[in-house]
Amino acid sequence: MTAANNIVFTGTEPGDETSLLDILDHVLNSGVIIRGNLVISLAGVDLVFVGLDVILTSVETALRQMQIAALPPKP
Amino acid sequence: MATRLNTKPDTAIYLYGITRQAVPSPKVIGVDGSAAVDGLPCAGFVCWISRVSHADFAENLAQNMENLDWLAAAGVRHQRAVAAIAEQTQILPARFGTVFLSETSLQTDVEKRKRTLDADFRRIDGADEWGVKVFTLPAKVELPPAESRTGKDYLKAKAAMLQRRPSKQAKGPDPELQAFGEQLTKLAVAAADGGKVSSGQRGLEWQSSFLLKRADRNKFESLLKKYSKRWTDSRRIEVTGPWPPYSFVSKDSASR
Repeated sequence: MTAANNIVFTGTEPGDETSLLDILDHVLNSGVIIRGNLVISLAGVDLVFVGLDVILTSVETALRQMQIAALPPKP
Repeated sequence: MATRLNTKPDTAIYLYGITRQAVPSPKVIGVDGSAAVDGLPCAGFVCWISRVSHADFAENLAQNMENLDWLAAAGVRHQRAVAAIAEQTQILPARFGTVFLSETSLQTDVEKRKRTLDADFRRIDGADEWGVKVFTLPAKVELPPAESRTGKDYLKAKAAMLQRRPSKQAKGPDPELQAFGEQLTKLAVAAADGGKVSSGQRGLEWQSSFLLKRADRNKFESLLKKYSKRWTDSRRIEVTGPWPPYSFVSKDSASR
């Protein structure tokens, strides 16, 4: 990490809470092959698991809310 | 290998990303905290995968992801695996939670996307992703000179000093920040919105991700430093990277 005055360059390792949120921002948001790619077979019929997008939205909202609310001190 | 008939599989295939080149397997722990990360030939590409528990990563994936401790640990392992591969060759990162039931279904899916994947590789060639955030600093307020200062004046000035400027401008984006964004975008291959998770941070005023050719990194840093000097008392800049290009690969469209 290098800091000069009011600019900070950090890597991508989870050194603190902020870095963790940055990591989740990247791995949750984007990337190739996103939708409906989990195929569950029941009695020989392939079904597509489509619930993941809904989960992601609620997870992202929860993580954002955590930052806005006062965070308890780390144990 | 024995074939299973009418029984639920125990394992699922977790995908980290796709490369054009085969490289040695990275020495990182897989997303579940124990599996190896292996390369699987896929329609002329290499898919980087771990074989994981079907229960944890298919059946109960949604539930597990709502457990933020589980998600944090697994998310970090995912990023570490992608980053380790990216050190050796260009990778198109997969989103966290991209799981296939079998190697065959993964290979079939990749085969269908060949053209899109080729275009993605061309776009990201020689480039990394960088995140840039701008935070407001607390406003500096002049305290009234000691002789004329009443207790009330002092407290009011002190309160103003502790208050951050509002991070959401009612009138719309700050023109200076817009110029900042435009200049950065000009240096980059592409820009993308970021921050579905990290946008809740206190004092965050502006945020974006950039796909930047490695050859242009110095120019990018110089521009950022120039602005940081201009904003010495008013704003703070945070830069993260280099990231694998999560935000600059094609989202799945109509492969189903």
